[in-house]
Amino acid sequence: MEARLEAFTYDDAVVRKFLWATIIWGLVGFLVGLVIAIQLATPVANLAPWLSFGRLRPLHTNAVIFAFAGNAIFTGIYYSSQRLLKARMFSDRLSNVHFWGWQAIIVAAAITLPLGFTQAKEYAELEWPIDIAIAVVWVAFAVNFFGTIARRRERHLYVAIWFYIASIVTVAILHIFNSLAVPVSLFKSYSIYAGVQDALMQWWYGHNAVAFFLTTPFLGLMYYFMPKAAERPVFSYRLSILHFWTLVFLYIWAGPHHLHYTALPDWASTVGMLFSIMLIAPSWGGMINGLLTLRGAWHKVATEPVLKFFVLAVTAYGMSTFEGPMLSIKSVNSLAHYTDWIIAHVHTGALGWNGLLTFGMIYWLAPRLFQTELFSKKLAELHFWLATFGILLYVAAIYSAGITQGLMWRAFDETGRLQYPDFVETTMRLIPMYWVRVAGGTLYITGAFVFLYNIFRTWAARPAKYDAPVARAAPLLPYVEPPISGAPVPASAWSRLVSLTWHRAWERLPVTFTVLATVAVIVASLFEILPTFLIRSNVPTIASVKPYTPLELAGRDIYIREGCFNCHSQMIRPFRHETERYGEYSKPGESVYEHPFLWGSRRIGPDLAREGGKYPPLWHVQHMADPRALSPKSIMPGYPQLLTRSLDFDGIQARVDAMAMIGVPYADAVNRAPAMAREQAASLAAAILAAGGPPALDDKEIIALVAYLERLGIDIKVPVTAESATPAPPTRPDTAQGAPAGTLISRGGR
Amino acid sequence: MTRLSDVVGASGLAGYAVVALILFVFAFLLVLYTIVAPSRRAQQQRAALLPFDDGTDPSEPRGIVR
Repeated sequence: MEARLEAFTYDDAVVRKFLWATIIWGLVGFLVGLVIAIQLATPVANLAPWLSFGRLRPLHTNAVIFAFAGNAIFTGIYYSSQRLLKARMFSDRLSNVHFWGWQAIIVAAAITLPLGFTQAKEYAELEWPIDIAIAVVWVAFAVNFFGTIARRRERHLYVAIWFYIASIVTVAILHIFNSLAVPVSLFKSYSIYAGVQDALMQWWYGHNAVAFFLTTPFLGLMYYFMPKAAERPVFSYRLSILHFWTLVFLYIWAGPHHLHYTALPDWASTVGMLFSIMLIAPSWGGMINGLLTLRGAWHKVATEPVLKFFVLAVTAYGMSTFEGPMLSIKSVNSLAHYTDWIIAHVHTGALGWNGLLTFGMIYWLAPRLFQTELFSKKLAELHFWLATFGILLYVAAIYSAGITQGLMWRAFDETGRLQYPDFVETTMRLIPMYWVRVAGGTLYITGAFVFLYNIFRTWAARPAKYDAPVARAAPLLPYVEPPISGAPVPASAWSRLVSLTWHRAWERLPVTFTVLATVAVIVASLFEILPTFLIRSNVPTIASVKPYTPLELAGRDIYIREGCFNCHSQMIRPFRHETERYGEYSKPGESVYEHPFLWGSRRIGPDLAREGGKYPPLWHVQHMADPRALSPKSIMPGYPQLLTRSLDFDGIQARVDAMAMIGVPYADAVNRAPAMAREQAASLAAAILAAGGPPALDDKEIIALVAYLERLGIDIKVPVTAESATPAPPTRPDTAQGAPAGTLISRGGR
Repeated sequence: MTRLSDVVGASGLAGYAVVALILFVFAFLLVLYTIVAPSRRAQQQRAALLPFDDGTDPSEPRGIVR
């Protein structure tokens, strides 16, 4: 049976838009990365509160992941999907909604993150209204994509389309469930999960954001653009399918390897490690499949910059997917976790795999989309070498920094004491390596500017009007028998419904495939997540652990606003070198009121889980005003503005109410949070004044932050009494035992 | 107050995790078989060439029910 050919055109206008967005946002993300790299090398580069490291770091990660890599994914997906499916996108309007909606979200992120609006969850920092916008735009993208599949003229779905489908479905699931939060105000919310459960949800999301945003869609792009550039089919199509299914079955389990030796139950951590190790097989299978696609075409690599970018990108994929499983092994992780080693690993993937693949793809696309020759192959070559040496300098320096850090933290001298007890000693050792990173990053960014110039000049030579080549393909015939020839076409919606014409469109969607992939992802997710929610022994409660007081809660929100969690962990692992340095290791029950959890993933500064009582309140006031006044070598930015900014006491009630709504037992504080906060602030400010500190701090933000810091790790030290074992009102541990208000400051000593 | 976590924790469901894991592995093996089945070879060889056919020069009619 043969069918007539249909003529149609592809929508390349939207591809061009995404291409430009990729380049522009990429430069923004790289530049912010350079700024924060300089800030780590010299703290004077923290020029203003909204330009401090804590606020810019999430801007960098979000810009690179969602703006640069995100737009790159959409560029490739919109170009390749139309051609692989032999159909124009389902709706030009939805394509534009997707494009402009996504750019609006990026702009919203670029404004709100420097202003300190953050949920404090890595790669999911954006506040709830933006989260909703992301979901809406993602649905528009999904409808457009699946609509195109339903209208396709090619029966078989090429493996790249499988990778796209898995990415679209899984990212939606991850985003929705990790972002569930109770709003306090337009730009403030609290995660509905707490402590261990929040940590597991976050790293289930965080790791799979890497998997299904930075890996699977880019693999789809690799399987389309690499054969196109090499002008030969993929080495083994069968291996590519195997690559797909094995990744889908394994990746979703791996998240807990981000939480080794934390308060996460050990079984979850071990499951994450085992599945991570198994991931080597499909990852390297995919890498080998990509490289062998160049069989018989290696001579072209010498002359074609596009292939150079692709070869190095796939090699970086192989390196980082070898290193990832290695880092997931608990003993290796014990050294690498919290150090710059993880940052080096991430940048091998981001600069190497995502960056170089994107550059190669755009160099291949630009002449076709702008319908002219690439302006300069030599400049593309220059870009390649700048990027390559930039990455090498970057990762060599930061691998060294990470391993140095890990070894120094755990070093003991011959008397059995910590060899480097002062944290800043380890920081100082890293500064030269941080400057080498700045040099590497500068090279990479220089290459990106060369790239911008080359593509701009290519675009400038475009024709006055783009040609729109007409493609021809036969419509896809349905599996079911077509209507009897000559039967009238149903007119009304009802008659169309009963005639089952809708069913034909539905059956052309890859339903079985999508359901299978979704089930694989959901089953794996539930098996890891449900036990920590539903089996109580996974998170044993501690009777002495109480909710934060209203003032401490306000202080915690300032800690979140300033992004302190980007540099300070609050999770002491059960190693001697950690307990010697920081105090008793952290317990799952300590975090039960932590919405969101603030365990952190990196120690640019020391852990703060047992900070309460370590220093007197005045020390914190002086340290925040000028860290180098107390610790001359510190690289922490100063926060003198906290000593003059007024604390919003009236806004505390809404924060307490939101916490109460998600199950934090706040008792009386639900009715009188501002008054309670003022009482505690006055008491603490008086103690600071009595110790020789500045006057009139009782209504300033610093007082809330100091109250919070002085509370950290205190509860676990309180002996359980009959009174404190009852359901917890928001009292300070000292007053729970009848001690007078204000004595909290002396608890624990130094 | 009895919590859902107490009920689930006491219900002795832990052993079923092994059953579920076996089913999960079995599902993966089933997928694996469908990939390597010899009957798929011709379809896979044709599919590998799809990136080179964007519809601008169709050499054979498509839409045939297989």
